[in-house]
Amino acid sequence: MVDLSVILAGFGDVFTPMTLLFILFGVVLGQFVGAVPGIGPVMAMAIAIPFTFGLDPLAAIAFLVGVNKGGLVGGAVPAILMNTPGTPDAAATALDGYPLARQGKPIKATKMALFSSVSGDTFSDIVLITVSAPLAILALKMGPVEIVALMIFAFSVISGLMGESLIKGVIAAALGLMFSFVGADPESFTPRLMFGYWDLYDGLALTSVAIGMLAISEILRRMTESFGQAGQGVLAPDNGNPEDRRVSWAEFWSCRFTLLRGATLGTILGALPGIGSTAAAFMSYATTKAASKDPDSFGRGNIQGIAATESANSAVVGANLIPLLTLGIPGSVTAALIISAFMIHGMQPGPLLFETQGRLVYGLFGAMIIANFLNLWVGQLGLRIWVKVVSAPESVIFSSALLLCFVGVAMATNGIFGIVIMLIFAALGILMHSFGYSMVIFIIAFFLGPQFEKSLAQALALLDGNLLRIYTSPVALALLVLSVISVFWFVSRRTNAKADTTNLGVPDGEVLDQKR
Amino acid sequence: MKLKSKLVALGAAALLAFGAPATAQDWGPSEPLTILIGFGAGGSTDTMGRVLADQIAEQTGWNVVVENRPGGGGVAMFTSLSQMPVDNHTIGMGVGIPVLVQLVERGDQLPFDLDSFDYLGTIATAELALVASADAPFDDLEGMIAYAQEQGTLPVATMAPPQVLMMNAAQRESGAEFNLVTAEGGAEVIQLILGGQVLAGFASGEHFPYLESGDMKVIASANANRLSYAPDTPTFIESGVDAYVDAVFFLAMRDGTDPAAAAAIAAAIDAAVQSEAVAEIVRNAVQGPAVNLGPEGARMMMVNGLENAQRLFQN
Repeated sequence: MVDLSVILAGFGDVFTPMTLLFILFGVVLGQFVGAVPGIGPVMAMAIAIPFTFGLDPLAAIAFLVGVNKGGLVGGAVPAILMNTPGTPDAAATALDGYPLARQGKPIKATKMALFSSVSGDTFSDIVLITVSAPLAILALKMGPVEIVALMIFAFSVISGLMGESLIKGVIAAALGLMFSFVGADPESFTPRLMFGYWDLYDGLALTSVAIGMLAISEILRRMTESFGQAGQGVLAPDNGNPEDRRVSWAEFWSCRFTLLRGATLGTILGALPGIGSTAAAFMSYATTKAASKDPDSFGRGNIQGIAATESANSAVVGANLIPLLTLGIPGSVTAALIISAFMIHGMQPGPLLFETQGRLVYGLFGAMIIANFLNLWVGQLGLRIWVKVVSAPESVIFSSALLLCFVGVAMATNGIFGIVIMLIFAALGILMHSFGYSMVIFIIAFFLGPQFEKSLAQALALLDGNLLRIYTSPVALALLVLSVISVFWFVSRRTNAKADTTNLGVPDGEVLDQKR
Repeated sequence: MKLKSKLVALGAAALLAFGAPATAQDWGPSEPLTILIGFGAGGSTDTMGRVLADQIAEQTGWNVVVENRPGGGGVAMFTSLSQMPVDNHTIGMGVGIPVLVQLVERGDQLPFDLDSFDYLGTIATAELALVASADAPFDDLEGMIAYAQEQGTLPVATMAPPQVLMMNAAQRESGAEFNLVTAEGGAEVIQLILGGQVLAGFASGEHFPYLESGDMKVIASANANRLSYAPDTPTFIESGVDAYVDAVFFLAMRDGTDPAAAAAIAAAIDAAVQSEAVAEIVRNAVQGPAVNLGPEGARMMMVNGLENAQRLFQN
């Protein structure tokens, strides 16, 4: 057990002007790169790591954590204001955020996203600080066999969001899976579907695919729609109603169960390496919608939808540090980057980290809490600026967003190749949209496919090639039973309440357009 | 004029051959040097490469730019490097073994071979170990094989094909059976061992904190030589399994690079590798010492490594 004096000394270390300044700098940078389409916190962290070499370890790591936390808040901004999520985990936020923004409530929607994000993040930080060690031991017991069952369960819950046509949803998912197979197979590293392009050996870059499909295709489509009517803003004009500019306590409080559910889901999935924030966001959204008395209001600007996704995807960040700090196992790309920052400073996260570097670890915990407060304050200010920025004429907004997407993808994927991939997927996105296939389902399948394939291969090896031996794991068996139940439940709801009309990026905004 | 430059080149080559980098002082870059790293930003290769670049810049005053070209464990980067015109200013940094594996498995599909590059030197060797939980009922590779024979099968986590081939060699020579689970990197191997899903696995430094805490033990060295931190633990070869892999981080340029430029850059790399900053980052990243085998040593490492990889895949 770490001595109390060490804990206090660690928390005390945070309050040096230098450390506080770097946390603030990290949060501001994170919110900025998160909000700018095309650049994300992952890239900002990867670029920043070598520059933190000369810093004090606490300032360096707190700075990176600040970028990560700020990025998740910032990521919701373009998703809500322009329906152009820069990362897959923000795609779920666009489902209800963008309709709200179109109804003239952009500030309300982004504020709710900010509050939910900070709530979820704080929840998982508290779990991390108090019970990380026992949780990490529990998470270790979730081997490949259990992870496969958990992912099947996640798929079954997310399938509740399939959209209007079940068949089209399945086709979109299958397409996403197919594209996720490009590159080396996870078991024997044989190249697949590469056609001689070695740049594809590690698979299609998620940044290229996600930005091409979600951002570029949306911008291009909107440009064709507004052709000939220059000068208008992206957003509906402010109607002057102060109610639409703030989130009242009553509104926030009405989301308490949604927030708690999202934060818990995010924390659990974050503590398990490899599943990540996108699945957490969509699972939280799907369960919130299923639990709601008025599921039809989702996808049309229900504030609960924003609360569900943002609390879940932000809770993953704190929880990702549970296996990272206690076991040295990174649960995501950003966590892997934080590990390399630790290693640059000569520390290896693992079982002895709390003993040998207790003061630093508690300093980091203190920094995380401070970062959450700063996130809230910087966010309050930043959101207003972003809403102002987006009220510029469409011609300005779209051209600069396109430019940023190109630059961002070129930087993240190291060159023209990534841009070509992005444009190919933008075209595919436009086609899929025109024919009513959900791009979001495609992206989820594309994103989770490699992890699922890897875990499945591992599980098969562990079960001696016989999947029926899954009964040796009671946890896996229970999860599979739950998956079957949830599929039946969603299907029966579906047939009862005619078709599901959540606009999963499919005929988005069209319901609203007709009303106008 | 052309003859003269050829003569100069010949002279430089001769000097290089005799190990006198006198030409190093005569050459300086006319534009920024670019180091292409065959892995993504933030990883151990990237981190070492960036610190190395900083040191080169600091010591020589040259302008050094670092770019990441991830893909195929460096194959994508070496593919594009081999297709670039010779410009005397572009350097590739990668790890030997993934490139060698692809050269053996599908060399006919790759636009380069070992002779497509002029080697400049190395920065470190990653030590690869077979590790197990401290309470595993075996202490060395022979004991592990015996235990596998007794149990019928034994789950082992690997990270890459060469390790699978090493375990296959162990299976073939002993008749024991291993359940090979492919993990994504050393951290996942550690996770599987700690979770009890596998009994042993390959790791290159990720297991260090657990050796220190006494939760894990080293079963064998997967390198040609014993591990620097576990000199009493025998290698695979010493344990009767004739197989090894060596993962060396190296730097190279297009073949046909001006020998004066190659010599000057190699000398700059050598000086940088000897710096304390590089030693520290290498120690932190791969838990080993910073070692520069020099241009000829790096080439021999690749040539011998290719032979070894061919032997592994033939079996």
